[in-house]
Amino acid sequence: MHRSKLGAYLFSFPSFFLTVALGLYPIVWALRYMFFDYQGYGTPRFIGLDNFARVGRDAEFWHSVGNTFVYAGGKLIITLPLSLILAVILNRKLRGRHVFRAIFFLPTIFSASVMSIVFYIVFNSYNGVINQYLLKLGIVSAPVDWLGAGMAMLTTIIIAVWGAVGNYMLLFLAGLQSIPEDIYEAASLDGVNPAQRLWYITIPMLGPVLQMIVMLAITVSLKGYESIMVLTEGGPFGKTEVMYLYLYKLFFPLTTTGTSVQNIGYGSAVGFTTAVIVGLITWMYFWMSKKLNSIY
Amino acid sequence: MSMSIRKIILRIPVWLLLLTTSALMLFPIIIAILGSLKTNLELTTGATFLPSTWEFKNYLTAWTQADFSAFTFNSLFVSVFVTVGTLLVAAMAAYAVDRVAFKGKRIYILLQSFTLFISIGAVVLRPQFDLMVSIGLQKSLWGVIIILISAHATAFFMVIGFFRGIPKELDEAALIDGCNFYSIFWRIILPLLRPALAVVALFTFRGAWNEYILPLVFSLTRPELQTLPVGLAGLRYGAGAAVENQLMLAGACISILPLLLVYLFANRSFMQVNVGAVKG
Repeated sequence: MHRSKLGAYLFSFPSFFLTVALGLYPIVWALRYMFFDYQGYGTPRFIGLDNFARVGRDAEFWHSVGNTFVYAGGKLIITLPLSLILAVILNRKLRGRHVFRAIFFLPTIFSASVMSIVFYIVFNSYNGVINQYLLKLGIVSAPVDWLGAGMAMLTTIIIAVWGAVGNYMLLFLAGLQSIPEDIYEAASLDGVNPAQRLWYITIPMLGPVLQMIVMLAITVSLKGYESIMVLTEGGPFGKTEVMYLYLYKLFFPLTTTGTSVQNIGYGSAVGFTTAVIVGLITWMYFWMSKKLNSIY
Repeated sequence: MSMSIRKIILRIPVWLLLLTTSALMLFPIIIAILGSLKTNLELTTGATFLPSTWEFKNYLTAWTQADFSAFTFNSLFVSVFVTVGTLLVAAMAAYAVDRVAFKGKRIYILLQSFTLFISIGAVVLRPQFDLMVSIGLQKSLWGVIIILISAHATAFFMVIGFFRGIPKELDEAALIDGCNFYSIFWRIILPLLRPALAVVALFTFRGAWNEYILPLVFSLTRPELQTLPVGLAGLRYGAGAAVENQLMLAGACISILPLLLVYLFANRSFMQVNVGAVKG
């Protein structure tokens, strides 16, 4: 027994060491630097809560927080109902359901940044694929400015939905499989129509699974910035700047848009603030869905 | 009779929804594949669906002149070593945690769950990068590989989930037969885990192959470290704004097609992984 204890320590050590050094330490590092004035060179200077005061005044940051809510909200409002409906349909013994599942899930296996390059060519304002088709079919008379200031947010949301629907469909499918068949059979004898069945049986029966999936969806969509970074870099005019992209730029300024400068101390404070915002929203959702549950 | 007509009418919107969604899901992928075989002129002005001439040489041009051979090699290098490393680190830890009662086990599990849920975004990249600089690994892709292996919490929880399917009596029997802690792992556990590890490997390989931000940060001052997603995205803003769209799509397909090919044969495993990962 003694030998296997030693073995257990040896076997879990690489995992423990890597997680502490590269998972935990960076968080502690940020928790320290958020109280310092540090640009990445010279000596860090302790400034107490000044960085947080600056976060409060930083209009560009709060603008990006607002954009994040629009982006995440837009993505969720389309993704969640659509993926639930698709899951409900494909949970039935429908011909070809495995093929449809595979098709809907397909987008989730590809790199978000690589697909953003493809979408750039698809949505490009001047010679993009969609505009070529729209012009040829006579649907529009001038190219639609998909990536311009007016439309860019909508376009990034469409792309996010494209990449997410299959994933949530699959999670909903897993949840649906735990709902017993005979409830539906009893309901169909009572003459319940499909919409009623979805609203009064499926959604309440999904209960905690639904709650968990929505919570996951909220946190994931608040954190997403990779595809926006490749597609628009937050532009034009900051219209698609989300908070995690803003945060990235504080640490690694993008050379092409080049407005932000590296600022480690301030960036750490912004990172902490964004994590708190995500945590708060997740907690608020949890609290509200619990309240709603007790009302029903 | 009237019942079956009603049923058919009810089914029309369902099939319409399924077929429209399928078309929208496949559209960008089909555009990427077909577009990669067009001339730049046709891709940007032609409004065609199928290429009028099939320009397979786009791939040769992307491979030789746009550096995609180097990007692909880097991507493969990172993905293979991250997959092997993650499997080894996660399987060893899962074996220890599932089979032995040792002090600190609870703290270890707490630590893994913590890293799974707490995220402060790009902030961690800086100290991670600095750590690699301090041991001189920022000059190669090994820095990227080690950091990606360190993020193995999901793989750990997946593997430990599969451990529950291997009865502990097997270990005890092997112990009586003269095996020890280590030989049980290599001779009994690993062979039995093989199908499960294949699924985790698929998940890990895909993650590393698709990773963008981390290799981007490492290659900011060292373009020779660019992987496929980084090199490709670089073309979007790079100095050569005149980069031809058909080559960008050929590059995108070099990243997409291997995954698509595996997906055609193993899409059930891909889907199993996603559900399993969330269920813990």
